[in-house]
Amino acid sequence: MKYLSQIALLVVRELDILRRNHLYAFCMVVFPILVLVFFTTLMEDGLPTEMPVGVVDLDNTSTTRSLTQRLDAFQMSRVVARYPSVSEAREAIQRNEIYGFLYIPKGTTDELLSSRQPKISYYYSYTTLAAGALLMKDLKTISTLGSAAVGQATMRAKGLTDGQIQTLLQPIRVDLHQIANPWTSYNVYLTTMIVPGMIMLFIFLISAYSLGTEIKFGTGKELMEIAGNNILVAIVGKYLVQTLIFLAIVFGYEFYVFYVLGFPNLGSPFMLILLGVIQVLASQGFGIFAFGLMPSLRMSLSVCSLWAVLSFSMVGSAFPVMGMDGPLQTLSWLFPLRHYYMIYQICVFNGYPIIDAWFHFAALVAFLLLPWFVMKKIKNAMLTYVYIP
Amino acid sequence: MSIFHNMNEGLHDICYIWWREMKLMVKDEGVIIFFFIVPIIYPLLYSWIYNNETVHEVPVAIVDDSHTSLSRQFIRMCDASADVRVAYYAQDLDEAKSLVSRQLVKGIYLIPSDFDEKVNRMEQATVSVYCDMALMLAYKAIFQTAQLVSMQMGNEIKTKLGRHYTKQEELIASKPLDYADVPIFNPAGGYGSFVLPGVLVLILQQTLVLGIGLAAGTAREENRYGQLVPMSRHYHGVSRIVAGKAMAYFMVYAVMGAWLLAGVPRLFHFPQLASWSSLVIIALPYILACIFFGMTVSCLVRYRENVMLLMVFISVPLLFMTGVSWPQSNIPGVWQGISWLFPSTFGVRAYVRLNSMGASLHDVALEYGILWIHAGAYFLMAYLVYSYQIRQAQKEIKIQHAAMKERVEQRKKNTK
Repeated sequence: MKYLSQIALLVVRELDILRRNHLYAFCMVVFPILVLVFFTTLMEDGLPTEMPVGVVDLDNTSTTRSLTQRLDAFQMSRVVARYPSVSEAREAIQRNEIYGFLYIPKGTTDELLSSRQPKISYYYSYTTLAAGALLMKDLKTISTLGSAAVGQATMRAKGLTDGQIQTLLQPIRVDLHQIANPWTSYNVYLTTMIVPGMIMLFIFLISAYSLGTEIKFGTGKELMEIAGNNILVAIVGKYLVQTLIFLAIVFGYEFYVFYVLGFPNLGSPFMLILLGVIQVLASQGFGIFAFGLMPSLRMSLSVCSLWAVLSFSMVGSAFPVMGMDGPLQTLSWLFPLRHYYMIYQICVFNGYPIIDAWFHFAALVAFLLLPWFVMKKIKNAMLTYVYIP
Repeated sequence: MSIFHNMNEGLHDICYIWWREMKLMVKDEGVIIFFFIVPIIYPLLYSWIYNNETVHEVPVAIVDDSHTSLSRQFIRMCDASADVRVAYYAQDLDEAKSLVSRQLVKGIYLIPSDFDEKVNRMEQATVSVYCDMALMLAYKAIFQTAQLVSMQMGNEIKTKLGRHYTKQEELIASKPLDYADVPIFNPAGGYGSFVLPGVLVLILQQTLVLGIGLAAGTAREENRYGQLVPMSRHYHGVSRIVAGKAMAYFMVYAVMGAWLLAGVPRLFHFPQLASWSSLVIIALPYILACIFFGMTVSCLVRYRENVMLLMVFISVPLLFMTGVSWPQSNIPGVWQGISWLFPSTFGVRAYVRLNSMGASLHDVALEYGILWIHAGAYFLMAYLVYSYQIRQAQKEIKIQHAAMKERVEQRKKNTK
């Protein structure tokens, strides 16, 4: 009972701190919402559409023009310009006007009709990986289609049925099942990693910041006094409000993304709640631990921000962890976001049973317990440290 | 005479401020972290992370219901490809699915029981591919390998079925229109070569802004009156202060810039098509723009740590706004507009096109021009916020001075 009343007093005190320093409102509510809006509107289409491509058509016959028109009709490509030569088209890529182009040399139609196997080429830039890969798909399809159209005409003349023609054109067909994300939506793929990562970044920073400012403004002693000199009570009382606010943000994000925007969620709602809770608590654990290791505001904030920024690479969502060097694969365990992402993709995105992600759960629980190692140090810091600018 | 005297004095003041700022820089550990340690270590870390560039040997599970030489040929060819490795053979789709859920494989190839039969009956055979879509690169590897192998095997079958007379005829019949697939600029499609140039340029801006913000915060906290600009004989004249400080930062970042923009790409063999001279020409306005941007931001924060809370999270959105990850042509207008406020947007675009795509300076004239405009505009902004700061400081001092005078007089009266 004594503890409860102490915690209640600390909660009131913390509420006052959060109200007075506007930075908390920004980092806990405004910025996370801003980031969520940014990424979901940036990639609203899911896939980039109507990306500018060029055509170098030196043949200029009705056959090649129809090829160009069909390329233009694709969802992802839009033919914006025709260039008289390959080098001019390349310069257009360098000027950032197009991402790729189709090159049809002179005499293509003639050679095609007399079956002398002409060769067309398509060029695309991989400096924007997503644009390059997607345009490559379109350009490749258009080139194969060109081939197929001619073959089809010949075979039909020979008297084959449509079914036979299809077989002869493509004897083996790949039947693709893109599980959980059939649209190949980049929004689904990136937003679900980056936005939670951002929220975790803010939790890291705010957790370290709120302890650090106690020393900076010389209120550490007061904090310990209210908590009856019990560091556990002090920590719980101090972070209770923040936990609740962050939980609200995380649940708000999950609701918006999975229920309003309809992102794939094959797991149960219970799983989302569990994931949100462990995400917030593990991140707070990390932030408090970082402060406990180096009880200085600037050092702990630096470590938290550097760690959080590195998380976006070590999470292994864009570039998979299995493609990294061995030591890095192990190091990735030290990043809470990595475990969050693994649980998300196993239990939420794909909806597999929670037991398959047990290791990552255990790891996040370990992050939550980390502050236990530095409790004494934090207490000492609160009572004796003096802020040096 | 007085003009020369003024200039001489001004130069002296600039040099004094520059010297003081340098001293502050090496004394403050927060500044050291962001000015020296992060720009040196982070690129190395990132390069290490992305050093392998592409994923090879993505594990897949096979469900072979056909058990024929043709299906086994398909499996062998997939396994032999660079990108996919056949890790498990599963009895049925459920078993394969449990392999995916335990993260042992990233995809499933299912060969139906009528695979061989259909091919021999001149019907279209199918191979089902199930992909775990959590990893785009793994999905790409699994799908493209299946497509490639099925096309290759298809061509073999086609030539057998086609009843042609000569080899050449077979070749042409299987592919009447040949095509060449030419990826240019980063031809291997490497992840590091694509993302790292942008990240390097962004690190330059972010560390500069963080470092300047921290330095300003320290100056403010060490100052007796909580002011950014100390009251000193040398600190009158806004342009002197701005120029002196900028000189100190520029000196450090001339070195760091060379390391980030030329050293790291060379060390890790990332694309480097730009000449030294064009790199210098583009880096000059970029670094200046970043410095004045940083100085402007630094005036807005009251406590030194706040700049970290404000600037760190913005890094990732900034990277997306440059158009490296998500094509620039598909960024909504609102965000395009906001992206125009940050030097990094144009710095990254110009650098990527110069260095990764071998463009000439003429091709990045727009970005180059905007960087100079940024440098000019942020210089003006820095000038304005600093002069505001100085006025504030003077006002504060005057008030304190008056208060002190009053106290002294009061005391005099009392003693009388």
